[in-house]
Amino acid sequence: MFKKSYPLQSKSEILLRNIVVAVMVVFFSVFLIAPIVIAFAGSFHEWNPLSGTYRFLGLENYKNVFTSQLFGTSMINTVIFSVVVIIFRVGLGLGIACAINSVLIKHKSFFRAVYYMPVVTPMVAVAFVWKFMYNPQIGVINQILGTSINWLKDPNLALPAVIVMTIWKDFGYAVVMYMAGLYSLPMDVMEAAKVDGASSWQNFRYITLPLLKPMTLFVVITSIISYIQAYVQILIMTEGGPGTATYLASYIIYDEAFVKYNFGYASALSFVLFVITAVFTWLSFRVSGTES
Amino acid sequence: MMKRRAAALTLAVSMAAGLWGCGGGGSASTAETAPEVEVPTEPFGDTIKYDPSVPINDGKDITVELWEWGSDELFQQIIDGYTAMHPNVTIKLVNNPWEDYWTKLPLALDGQNGPAIFNVHNSYHENMINYMAPLEIPLEDLEADFTGVEAHVIDGNVYYIDYGMMTGSVYYNKEMWEAAGLTDADIPKTWDEMREVAKKLTIRDGDRLIQAGLNFNDDFHQNYLLGLNYQLGENLFLEDGRTPNVTSDAMKQIMQMLVDMYQVDGIGSADFGEKSSDSFGQGQSAMVIQWGHYYNTLNTTWTDIDFGVFEIPTFDGEPYAYNRYNGESTFGINKNAPADQQAVAQDFVKYFLANDDAQIAFNLAMSTFPAKKSLADNPEIMANPSLSVLAEHIDHYIWPGPMPSTMETSLKKAGEDIFYNGVDIDTALNAAQQEIIRDMQSSTFTSVEDLYKYAQ
Repeated sequence: MFKKSYPLQSKSEILLRNIVVAVMVVFFSVFLIAPIVIAFAGSFHEWNPLSGTYRFLGLENYKNVFTSQLFGTSMINTVIFSVVVIIFRVGLGLGIACAINSVLIKHKSFFRAVYYMPVVTPMVAVAFVWKFMYNPQIGVINQILGTSINWLKDPNLALPAVIVMTIWKDFGYAVVMYMAGLYSLPMDVMEAAKVDGASSWQNFRYITLPLLKPMTLFVVITSIISYIQAYVQILIMTEGGPGTATYLASYIIYDEAFVKYNFGYASALSFVLFVITAVFTWLSFRVSGTES
Repeated sequence: MMKRRAAALTLAVSMAAGLWGCGGGGSASTAETAPEVEVPTEPFGDTIKYDPSVPINDGKDITVELWEWGSDELFQQIIDGYTAMHPNVTIKLVNNPWEDYWTKLPLALDGQNGPAIFNVHNSYHENMINYMAPLEIPLEDLEADFTGVEAHVIDGNVYYIDYGMMTGSVYYNKEMWEAAGLTDADIPKTWDEMREVAKKLTIRDGDRLIQAGLNFNDDFHQNYLLGLNYQLGENLFLEDGRTPNVTSDAMKQIMQMLVDMYQVDGIGSADFGEKSSDSFGQGQSAMVIQWGHYYNTLNTTWTDIDFGVFEIPTFDGEPYAYNRYNGESTFGINKNAPADQQAVAQDFVKYFLANDDAQIAFNLAMSTFPAKKSLADNPEIMANPSLSVLAEHIDHYIWPGPMPSTMETSLKKAGEDIFYNGVDIDTALNAAQQEIIRDMQSSTFTSVEDLYKYAQ
């Protein structure tokens, strides 16, 4: 039967294909689809898998999500956190990638490795180190600035402090992505522009930037998905405090699921966040014009 | 009595060796250093008696697992003592770090191959209790030997009890104390005296705080808000045992006192020493209130600090109760384990409860006051200052039951709102009350404060 449809493929190739596809289907079914379905069903229940509680609540969990003041506050924080970090990630990433890509810079691999190093360092370790750096008495940041600010306990500074740390840790990812994009740019277009008398700025603004648009879109969308899920730095550095000043949406999910064992409510929060992430991603496509 | 003590003497020595080894940064393995365990032959114990001559599993070989989250040497020593009496029994010690323990354990207990014996912390009571088998020791025997048993009775059964009681005491830096011209006679008995002493211990350079007289940052909710209410005659829960009482006048008074200590007395600051326990250990703060475990932390982590301990002050010298305590729990027995493994587990728990030296070793290791009545005045226990300061009034401490974590987390948020976000006390405590009520909707918790010996 397969031979008729795919005369150029051997039996062994078909067998291999079927095995690979089957493994992938089973893997994603067990580790992705099934948990999503279970969590979706759980979002309509009072659910604590550790004590065995599973009681149908209807839409009660979703009602609680949309009436929760804390969820509203955390969504605002999440948007601020994501937008600021993404802007700096893209801006710094692009700027530094262009700088490293310049003919004036030697040892490009060295700089690329240096900027990428924080990206591969575990967030937990980075967050602990930065928490120590922010210490009001013995932290290096206050010593450099000559201040005694309690960075992580000031409601106006705590979230920006976490944002700065996240930017430092993550912008290297954009550097590497943009460098890959810059390497792949068609040199003939650049040279033609140079022959036509385009300045460096014009070259960047009207040729490099538009050609890097797919890469920018990729960085922005992966960043949106990543930062809407951010919670480790909050867990380590502020625990959502002072009070609830630095609660992010994903931190509430962690708090509800793994501190309070309220898995039903946490699942409802997760699905709301999933929808919001999808909307933001769709908006990014729309704004970039890629979808059309 | 003498026989009993002699029989278990070697066990205690080897336990202590294990503890010292831990505190000293580790040494050779237990198998290389532990002295030979002397095997008791006569029954020992107070009301709960353990008879080592009774064969286990009819003398046939059997292996069970014991899960715990730390203090491996301590557990291994009691296992060694037990298996020396019953060489046909093998108890495999399995350590899971605290962070993983409470997610892995329920899943393991739900299956066929979970551990027969596991260490319990009562803060996870609701997640564990459905997997636990009741102790086969008669209730009256447990009550005869241990305090606080009645709070653990569920439908006539007891699944675990406390072997020790932990609570808060005041830790003070002796060098700072002397430098401030203070003597033992200045040890405060009331909060007013405490504030005056703290003022003397505070050092400033202009507006800049150099040394805090008292620091309660990061743990004020555990060490003040959830406990001092009893001094003012208010429980943490209303009469129904389920409605939180965190908007009570007592809670507001305590919160106001904390605010005044920092903002009026100036004996510390919310921005000075982000964790009181670390700040004291780093020599920044002269006094902190910490729970018993801090005694061992100071002796192992902050060894340079010369510290003393005194009992928590009261408002008027005659409190309804001094503070809240929490119990360190005895082992749990897996009801889904095979019957022969459960029998071993039951026997092991009985051995643990009857063995005074094991009780002493565990209480010293955890800095908990023994729940075993016969050990209340034990010289080894009294030699530990964090325990001896509790001895006089130990029956004036209240256990509210295994409170859901929202009691702590919600009050911590309330305190941070007050100290850092400029929220007034009434608003912050009302928000905490509402959050706790919401979080407890699915909880089966009911307070046992009404079981307090001097309940009004």
